[in-house]
Amino acid sequence: MSGLSPRQWTGLALLAALAIALPFAFEPRGYGIRILCLALLFAAMAQAWNIVAGLANQISLGHAAFFGIGAYTSTLLLIHFGITPWLGMFAAAILGGAAALLISLPTMRLRGHYFALATLAFGEVMRVIGNSWGGLTGGPVGISVPFAQPSLALMQFRETRSSYWLMLAALVVVTLVFVAIKRSRLGYRLRAIKENADAAEVIGVDTTRTKIIAAVISGALTAALGTLYAQFQFFFDPDTVFGVASVSVRMAMIAIVGGIGTAAGPILGALFVIPLEEFANQVFSAQAAGLSQLVFGLLLILVILIEPRGFMAIGPRLQRLLRKGDRR
Amino acid sequence: MTNPSALLSISGLHAGYGAMDVLHDVSIEVGAGEFVCVIGANTAGKSTLLRTISGLVAARGSIRFDGTELVGRPSHVIPALGIAHVPEGRHVFPEMTVEENVMLGAYAVRSAGDLAARCDRVLTMFPRLRERLTQLAGTLSGGEQQMAAIGRALMLQPRLLLLDEPSHGLAPKIVDELHDTFLAVSRTGTSILLVEQNTTLALSVAGRGYVLESGRVVLSGTSTELSGNDAVRSAYLGL
Repeated sequence: MSGLSPRQWTGLALLAALAIALPFAFEPRGYGIRILCLALLFAAMAQAWNIVAGLANQISLGHAAFFGIGAYTSTLLLIHFGITPWLGMFAAAILGGAAALLISLPTMRLRGHYFALATLAFGEVMRVIGNSWGGLTGGPVGISVPFAQPSLALMQFRETRSSYWLMLAALVVVTLVFVAIKRSRLGYRLRAIKENADAAEVIGVDTTRTKIIAAVISGALTAALGTLYAQFQFFFDPDTVFGVASVSVRMAMIAIVGGIGTAAGPILGALFVIPLEEFANQVFSAQAAGLSQLVFGLLLILVILIEPRGFMAIGPRLQRLLRKGDRR
Repeated sequence: MTNPSALLSISGLHAGYGAMDVLHDVSIEVGAGEFVCVIGANTAGKSTLLRTISGLVAARGSIRFDGTELVGRPSHVIPALGIAHVPEGRHVFPEMTVEENVMLGAYAVRSAGDLAARCDRVLTMFPRLRERLTQLAGTLSGGEQQMAAIGRALMLQPRLLLLDEPSHGLAPKIVDELHDTFLAVSRTGTSILLVEQNTTLALSVAGRGYVLESGRVVLSGTSTELSGNDAVRSAYLGL
């Protein structure tokens, strides 16, 4: 971030201090801090998704595949071989990256809706495999992370705030990766593809290969975050970690609501969407079946109708409005 | 007129989309430093010809560039060989600045080194772009976008520049400016293969031309010869 002014640096430092200190404002084992943890995790996931979708405009609806692979990889390694999730997370990333490579080879030649549908199918295939291959995954019954004495070595914590800091660190890492890619040669290639694939091709960009590299990075990061999710929830089943609505679409939606292709977009999006979802659940779920989802859905539709480019576009829009006001 | 020393030598080229051939047995040559145009009606296969040279369309036959066979090579390696393509409809990257657009021309092929010097040369050729370096390319006028696209292509320092319908959709006054731009590029020694529906423009800048009809070369000659040809005059010049 060489382009930041001293004032922006100060702002960023204050924001960091606030983010680190925030858990002390919450009840240590309460509900609020758990929601915050999930919001940070989903922000990181949406940021990983943003690498391919935001920079190259390849909208994946199958990222749950990588997320689930990550959750199962580290958990199975822990259960069967006693391998710490810290290492399991790297194994998860490797498998997630490999899966992304595999699915990208045939699908990255596709654009737009065709790519979205192909990836959607891939996620669903993984969910079905997860449910059917009971011998490995435990099937639809789900799988539990063995509970041990809380210890950093096993990525299990007594205080939820330790999980919070872990999620925060993960978000920072994924965001730095996103920013580094965006400013690199790879980032320029991806943006060229997004804006005009044919023009990118004739100036010498190997478009398919470029998209595959980004997809592998994105898939690996998403799988590593799957490990964090497993260690945070202690229990999951194929329908949650490989779910279309619970993971794939939610990742995409968060990034889009916040501002696709920007570094801050997924963070703003997650801090809005995840608490909103919980709030809708709390207030409306007692009233009538499905009402909370309806309210949540309507609010999201409203946001996208007001500003299709997400929260990140609202600032510049306000500035323009103010400037117009000045001229008058 | 087969000339073994030609920079680009296309012979017996068939190309098309799927089972449909658009080009049939096309043979065309461009010598080093030469300015050649291909004229013809819509759907004659002019754009397909350039897209085939760039590797974007599957082909049979031979396209030799400075002794290297291009047929069968993937499109992204072709720019590095020294062929730059300015696609039809300008195709700038609208959400990037003019500077980013121009720089990307060389950025993608990793020739680095004298990037800044190259950029400066391009901007000297197009002073209008220099005035608008930080503006988003999508907000440029049509003629300026065409300049940016050509500038981006020139960043490669190509030996052959492929221009696809550069005058398309531009006001007559801008087309006149393009005329000068082409000649400026040509003077630097770059070979140019220009595809144009605007026959008057094409024959006024190119030294030699081919007439393409339904995917076949039906006529070729110097621009003076073509301008004087009755068939060309009635079909393409409206005289």
